[in-house]
Formats: sequence, structure tokens, C-alpha cells
Amino acid sequence: MAASQIRLLTLVAILAAWELVARSGLLYQEVVPSLLKIAAAFVRMLFEKDTWRHFGVTAWEVGAGLAAGYLLGLAFGLAAGTRRFFGAAVAPYVDGVATAPKIVFLPIVMLLVGTGIGSKLALGALSAFFPVAINTAASVRQVDPVLVRVGRSFRLSRWQMATRIYVPALRPSLVTSLRLGFGLAVVGVLLAEIKLSNAGLGFLANEHYSNFRVADLYAVLVLIFVVAVGLNSLMSRFAERRNQRICS
Amino acid sequence: MLVVDNVTKRFATADGGVTALENLSLEVSKGRFVAVIGPSGCGKSTLFNIIGGLVEGYEGRVLIDGQPVDGVHRDVGMVFQEESTFPWLTTLENVAFPLDVAGVPKAERLERARALLRLVGLEGFESRYPAELSGGMRQRTAIARTLAFQPKLLLMDEPFGALDEQTRLLLGDQVLRIHRELQQTTLLITHSITEAVQLADEVVVMTYRPGCLKRLVRVDLPRPRDSAIVSSPEFGRLVAEVWSDLRAEASRGMQDIESHRKEEIS
Ligand SMILES: Nc1ncnc2c1ncn2[C@@H]1O[C@H](COP(=O)(O)OP(=O)(O)O)[C@@H](O)[C@H]1O
Ligand SMILES: [Mg+2]
Repeated sequence: MAASQIRLLTLVAILAAWELVARSGLLYQEVVPSLLKIAAAFVRMLFEKDTWRHFGVTAWEVGAGLAAGYLLGLAFGLAAGTRRFFGAAVAPYVDGVATAPKIVFLPIVMLLVGTGIGSKLALGALSAFFPVAINTAASVRQVDPVLVRVGRSFRLSRWQMATRIYVPALRPSLVTSLRLGFGLAVVGVLLAEIKLSNAGLGFLANEHYSNFRVADLYAVLVLIFVVAVGLNSLMSRFAERRNQRICS
Repeated sequence: MLVVDNVTKRFATADGGVTALENLSLEVSKGRFVAVIGPSGCGKSTLFNIIGGLVEGYEGRVLIDGQPVDGVHRDVGMVFQEESTFPWLTTLENVAFPLDVAGVPKAERLERARALLRLVGLEGFESRYPAELSGGMRQRTAIARTLAFQPKLLLMDEPFGALDEQTRLLLGDQVLRIHRELQQTTLLITHSITEAVQLADEVVVMTYRPGCLKRLVRVDLPRPRDSAIVSSPEFGRLVAEVWSDLRAEASRGMQDIESHRKEEIS
């Protein structure tokens, strides 16, 4: 059986189990509404203009936050991986902070940039930065040292070394970094929105939750889930295609 | 062109340190093809990296056109012992790489890269990736790439070391042809006696650690040459001459390695 068929079957099984629980009345109907209710809420939500305004806010926060966190993480990872002294000096602190949930920095971030969109964006950037930096630094050390010596023998500048040798040699890991960073940026942004905001999908979900509109809450979660999974598979598809081009 | 004057290089290691090269001197004049031969571990790659400017912290001097080497010299091109083509670039892009980095316009650099690929016998493989080529083709790509850098001195560290003997003889023909066409001053490092005698004007025999110059054998075989020369009596005599010098060093190297093994086991 193909992997895609297995995945489809898993999904069907989960949905069936959900529906069974919903109809059995074992759990409160309100907490586990039937699929029909959720689907209805989802469709209704798609036609509301407000939904897309919130979607746009979150997309911007995640996109810009990821872009900033990714580029900074990349630069930091390259520096830490290629300069042994710098790497040894900062690695333990980066590793340490990386394990902390970034939401704990939200109060500080808000004091610095205010409570608006900027704070969500910054939290997204902060969340994306660490996995990208750590993954990049680790993969830099895997780059074939002879390729670096080739670069030196052609008298490449530091910048050319980074862009012409390290970045292409690291390409598969750059896509992995992007996926890791994306996942954590989404989490960071949504958490920050839920905590304190007046726009975004996290805010919307929180509104539904506060007013006990459970089916609508699930509809928002489904939207987030579908978009995230879609983007993720798009990124890995891109990575695979490029790899094939090189190795075939 | 190249003067290596009394170079000594020590590496610090866990058990005290190794002297890789000791008081090594050698000269390569313009347009000449010199081969350096020595057993594994005698310091050949160390010498290669010192001349190329990739290793620092040695005693003695290295001069290129009278200028002391300080970092990587503009006029030196290196071909490495290891597989070194960029796997993410096509053959043509690999060869054009040093030109691209130097800012040569696209049309011109591709044209020059094409000519160099023709020179190393890789016409028709321009758009292939290294993974699609054989080891010998990849090394020729690396040679063409280094030639694109337009070095005045070409350094090669066992470029065909990983290949079988027949392939190596045939690639030797290509190297001879390149040398004939470009009159490129070349220093070839090798552990193959036939390769050294087939290609070079002079063969420098190195001693086993610490590496220094043991003897210089002049190869006065007529040029142009090709691999057919391997069967001539003159070739046989030169190979025997080099081997008589190399033999003692190679067996010292072997004993050294074997005694290390014994220590590791016991
Ligand atoms: N960076 C290094 N650190 C310590 N020892 C080294 C280093 N590079 C080479 N050596 C030692 O120097 C000796 C010569 O090495 P090398 O120049 O690679 O020899 P060859 O190329 O002739 O096989 C070897 O014993 C090797 O172990
Ligand atoms: Mg070597």
C-alpha cells in the first residue's frame, strides 16, 4: 500500500472515531461537536470577510517573523559553524535558550515594541531563529572540507565563501531549517495572539473559546492546520525536486 | 618560477608532534613539469598545501616569481587529492566557477569553460552533474576548473590517485596534451612511479618522514610523449632508477605503519 493511501486511511479512521465519540454522548456534545457541525461552521467561516482579515494579519506576522528569524538564524549559524572560537563561545547559551518556550519572552518583547502586530512578529522571529541557527551551525560542520579549501584556493572573499560554497552545500539543510522555523514561528505567533491581541487567527480562536462557540473554534483550528500542512508539504516537495535535479 | 627553500614543518599532535617536512628545498623553473614522488605519509600533501598557501607556520621560505608566499597566491592553481567538484553545479558551471567569481561576463566565461572542457576531453558533458560522471571525468573537471583560474603554476596532489592504472595512463596522455598546449608550469605530486616518469621533466624523490629531497632524477624522454612510451627500454630504465631510490623509503614507511598497528593492538 502506498504511503498516501495509508495516510488517507488514518485520517478516515480518526474522523470516524471522532464522530462515534460525538454521537455516543460519552463526552459533552459541546466539547466534541459532530463533524457536520464543524463542517458547517467551517464553510460559514470561509464566507466571512472578518476571517480573511484575521488570516491576513496572522499570515503577515508569521511570514515576516519567519523571514527575519530565518535570515538572522542563517547568518548566526554560518558564523558559529565556520568560526570555531565564536561557535564555542556562544553555543551553550544558544542551546540553553533554544529549549525555553519563547512565549516567556512575550512580556519583554511587548515592553520593547508595544502590544501590536510588531510583538507577534518579533515572537515569530524569535521562535524561528533558534532551530534555524542550531541546524545551520550543525550542518556547516558537515560540509566537505575540501570544498572549502577549493574556495580558499580561488581566493574567495568571506561573503563569496558563504554564498557560493556554504549556502549551496547546505541546500537540503536550508529547506529543513525553513520547515522547522516555519512550524515554530506559527506556534509562537498564535500563542502570542491568544495571550494578548485584537486581530489574527489566534485572537479569533480565543474569541470563540471565550464565548463557548466550540464548533467555530474547531473550524479555525482546521483552517490553521490545513494551511500549515499544505505549506509544509509544498516546501518538502520543492526540496525533493531540487535534490533530484542534482542527483539523477 | 617556484623556489622552496629549506622548508621544515612540524605538526603538534597528542603524542608530542610529527615533523612532516625537514629542510626540503626544490625548484621548478618556468614551463617545466616536475613530479614529486614519495611513499604515503611522507609529507607530500603538506608540501602541496604550503606552496598553495593553505598551511602556515613553517620554517624556511617559499617564493613564487621571487615573491614570498603569504596566503593563497594569485598565480597558483590547486587540484586536490580528494574529490572536489561542486556537486550542485554542472560540469560547465564547475569549470566556469572561478571566472564567475572573478566577475567575467556570462557569455565569455561559458565560452572559455567550454574550450577548457574540450581541452580535457569532456566535450558533450557540459550539462551533466558530477554525480553522473566517472571518477576520472570528475578529476578532469576539477583540473579544467583550476585551469580556468589561469594559474601560472599548476599544483596537483595525486589527482588520479583513486583511479585504476589503465585509466591513469590514458589520463596521463590528456595531461601531457594540456601541458603541450598551455606550456603550464606544473608540479605534480604522486605516488605512482610510472605516472611520474610518463609525465615529468624531473622527478623529485622524497624520503619517508621527515620528508626531504632524496634525489632528483632527470627524465630526458623526448616530447611530445604519450602513454605508448611506457613500453620503451628507456622508460623501464628510468622507472628502475626511481624505484631504487624510493624502495628504501617505501619500506621504511611500511615498517613505520606496521609498528604503529602493532602498538595499537598490544
Ligand atoms: N594537520 C595535521 N596535523 C597533524 N599531523 C598532520 C597534519 N597533516 C599531516 N600530518 C601528518 O604529517 C605527515 C605527512 O602527511 P601528508 O602530507 O598528508 O602525507 P602524504 O600526502 O605524503 O601522504 C603524516 O604523518 C600526517 O599524519
Ligand atoms: Mg597526500
